[in-house]
Amino acid sequence: MRRGDHLAAFEQLVLLALLSLEEDEAYGMNIRHVLREQARREASVPTVYSALERLESKGFVSSCLGQATPERGGRAKKLFRVEAAGVRALDEARKTLEVMWQVGGLMGGPSER
Amino acid sequence: MKDSPPRQRSIRPPRVAEITLLLLLPKRDRGPILGDLAEEFTRLAEADGVRFARRWYWQQFIRAIVPAARRRLDTKGRGEARFNVTKLGFSWLDVKIGLRMLGKHPGLSLVAVFALAVGIPVGLAPTHFVNAHEAPPPVDESDRLQVLRSIDLVNSVVRPGSLYDFNLWREELTSFEALGASMDAVYNVISEDGRAAPVEGAEVTASMFGLLRVAPLQGRTLIAADEAVGAPPVVVIGHDVWQSRLGGDPDVVGRVIQIGGVERTVVGVMPKEFLYPWLDQVWVPLRARALTDDHGQKRRLRVFGRLLDGVSPEEAEVELSTLGRRMSVDLPQTHAKLRLQVVPFTLGVHRLPRGGWRALPGFYFVQVLTVLMLAFPCANIGMLILARTANRSSELAVRTALGASRARIILQLFTESLVLAVLAAGVGLVIADRFVSRVGTVGWVHFGVTPQTALLALTLAVFSAAVAGVVPALKVTSGDVHRNLQHAVAGRAGIRFGGMSSALIVADVALAVAIIGASVGVWGIDRSAGMGIETDQFLSAELRIPRIDPEGDGSAISRSESVRLAAAQDALVQRLAGEPGVGGVAVASVLPGMDHPVQRIEVEGESDRRLVRHASVDVGFFDALQQPILSGRGFGPDDLGENSSSVIVNTNFAGQVLGGRNPLGIRVRQWSRAQDGPWYEIVGVVGSLGMLATATDADAGIYYPLAPGQIHPVPFAIRVGDDPAAFAPRLRELAGEADPAAVISAPVALSEVLSQQVLLLGWLRSYFLVVIGILLTISTMAIYALMSFTVAQRTREIGIRIALGARWRAVVATIARRAMVQLGLGALAGMTVAGLLLALLENVAGKIPMGSPVLVASMVTVGVVVLIGALACIAPTLRALRIAPTDALREGI
Repeated sequence: MRRGDHLAAFEQLVLLALLSLEEDEAYGMNIRHVLREQARREASVPTVYSALERLESKGFVSSCLGQATPERGGRAKKLFRVEAAGVRALDEARKTLEVMWQVGGLMGGPSER
Repeated sequence: MKDSPPRQRSIRPPRVAEITLLLLLPKRDRGPILGDLAEEFTRLAEADGVRFARRWYWQQFIRAIVPAARRRLDTKGRGEARFNVTKLGFSWLDVKIGLRMLGKHPGLSLVAVFALAVGIPVGLAPTHFVNAHEAPPPVDESDRLQVLRSIDLVNSVVRPGSLYDFNLWREELTSFEALGASMDAVYNVISEDGRAAPVEGAEVTASMFGLLRVAPLQGRTLIAADEAVGAPPVVVIGHDVWQSRLGGDPDVVGRVIQIGGVERTVVGVMPKEFLYPWLDQVWVPLRARALTDDHGQKRRLRVFGRLLDGVSPEEAEVELSTLGRRMSVDLPQTHAKLRLQVVPFTLGVHRLPRGGWRALPGFYFVQVLTVLMLAFPCANIGMLILARTANRSSELAVRTALGASRARIILQLFTESLVLAVLAAGVGLVIADRFVSRVGTVGWVHFGVTPQTALLALTLAVFSAAVAGVVPALKVTSGDVHRNLQHAVAGRAGIRFGGMSSALIVADVALAVAIIGASVGVWGIDRSAGMGIETDQFLSAELRIPRIDPEGDGSAISRSESVRLAAAQDALVQRLAGEPGVGGVAVASVLPGMDHPVQRIEVEGESDRRLVRHASVDVGFFDALQQPILSGRGFGPDDLGENSSSVIVNTNFAGQVLGGRNPLGIRVRQWSRAQDGPWYEIVGVVGSLGMLATATDADAGIYYPLAPGQIHPVPFAIRVGDDPAAFAPRLRELAGEADPAAVISAPVALSEVLSQQVLLLGWLRSYFLVVIGILLTISTMAIYALMSFTVAQRTREIGIRIALGARWRAVVATIARRAMVQLGLGALAGMTVAGLLLALLENVAGKIPMGSPVLVASMVTVGVVVLIGALACIAPTLRALRIAPTDALREGI
């Protein structure tokens, strides 16, 4: 992994939320919903988009414009998809965390891979 | 009403929040983010209701502001999507630089912010006050409330309404839900402690309360039965009267109180904010049933109505005009030259023309004048900003060399001024809000700062920034890039100020001297000069008796009222005569020093008809004012009869109308095209007492004898000694003894009335005083800043001259010479302008003492300005003299 390509905690949450959504449901507001319901994190929509943009610039997600609907005031959705690099980065982050948990003495031994 | 299909209310997010986000978000985020928010808003509105959804949206908006702004800055930081408000490429960096500049030059920032913080509110004051004054009353569907009135086409004035017209309109007009009428009055209300004090009130039709759709706080409002002749006398009182006069008695409804000398039963209390038609606190029924023609009664009846739903004011006016045409045929004497109008309630109540204040030419004159006043501080600030910019010319030269266009640099400098101006506008609005909050609310008129005013202030800030920022920017960027770069490398400014700064200094000095000179001249007008009356020894007031016959049918002022008025006036004058410290009472239709009405008179045996001013005065008038009868005799009790034919004229009359002849025995009469008046014989001559507010001894005048009870209200002046205002409470007591219904209004020293007359409105006087003070402060500050700057600019020149062997005295003399030329030119120009202004004023206001006070004041101002100029030059001169000659020579080459 290149320097600066590590995942911040919030970015990890956004990526995981994205993975939990169907392809045509993976956009800002739904990600916000998942974060609030599952992770108990309140984030404004621009904050979510900021994270998504950072992830996109690192190549972890890609985006495309979806359908515009009347209830959206005729504005198109911006749909996101997690790329393979994103999944790898998530995995890397999880491993790093586990190691650090062990180092910190809060975990018994290396987890099963 | 037509049936229309039920319309589905469109459910959409709050517009303000959406538009703000739209402006705040980077372009590429707008669609997805606003779309997401709109989608969720729709879902919530359907599930939990629109109110909930709107609240949610606003919460999201508040949470989104900072991240959205940050995203915008991030985006720009990467240079991906520039904020292309203009093709020039506005940058938030300019704003940041502007903010930094404020701190870098604190002195300049302070002066500029102060000047604009005062200048901007002054500039927007006329529009702000007009908007506040014309605001509709805060009642249900206030746009449907309209005033119906007649305009006298001959004199272009609003003619007071008549009961006859009101009754006819009420019966015939179909455009209105209902019509109401009111007639202003002042009543003495006896308070808990037994003291009587006047309260503004009105006789109103019961319909007024229904029209305004305001429910009483207690009891009921007036009802139609209260208007009937013979109905028990009742009153509805306002919240303040209830609290202050009746001690907030919870059982006030049903209580009998004395209002204007009549015992009336309180039937209701209105809420605190109910002060209709205008600042009224007591409402008694208007007995408006009489269908007699009462046009001669000179009532000040106000008629208003509520338009039917769907009827426009224009349609109502067409109907009213049609009725008016019929009336002009039926009653040609009184209705032939009238135009009937339907105008919004506020305009009608304030007796403003249809277009409001803006329809008066004077409004735009004042508005333009105040904006010009704003332009003056702007020019000075512009000069100071130019000075600041000059020090940055090397930075700007490098930017230009790197490819920045001239327009781009001008935009940057404009933005910097805009930061300053917006800050000043904010400070100014806060100060203005504090200032006007002392005035607060009058009736339903709120003088506080509104969003509309804030927007206007912002517009003026842009205007100020354009004047103060763009001109220096043009000057700084006018040179050729190559030369500027050379100067920049050499560490020199590369900008010459010469003419511009000198011109501004001269203008500043001229303004200071002109303002002081002209002000001293105007304020030096001795109002009592030529009147021969010690006006500060007199208390002036008006005696009123409200309509006192509750059983009357309202069709005419009864004879008994006139008799009672005469009795009250006599009783009051007698009581005053017996009061220790009172030197005399003068009763007159118009008091000396105020504008007297004019009439055209004819002298027996002459064909010329001359305009003279006139007044009716009581028998003791001249004695009380200690005015000797110069020849002939004064008025006596015999002159008060109906067949009396005596008049007294003033010396101007004798000189101007009679050509210096002895006036005694000469007969005169009022002349009019229709009918000549009776002949009067001149029996006495008095000195000039002042018949014109602005010129005390200019006009020819004639005095008629006045019997008690002939005029209402009764103006009078009492000689009471050094502190006239202190006698006002005792005067009220004496008036109460003379007649319990008697109201004493506007007791104030005669000298105060006179000074108010000179500038018409007291507030206008204070407003201009404040403006003059501010202009002086700004010009003084600007003189200091500019002079000190121009000397500082010559530092290198001074250093080189010293290096080349010049004596310091010669150098100081050069600097002083230039400063003196600037100050002298300014003083000369200022005194000339002051003289011209005073000469202009003299045409309008009569004699102004042009001599020593104006000259002394101007000289003192010049002295102060010279001192300020000298102080401004000292520091930079000393600094320049201290430069080592070698340094000066090295840098200068």
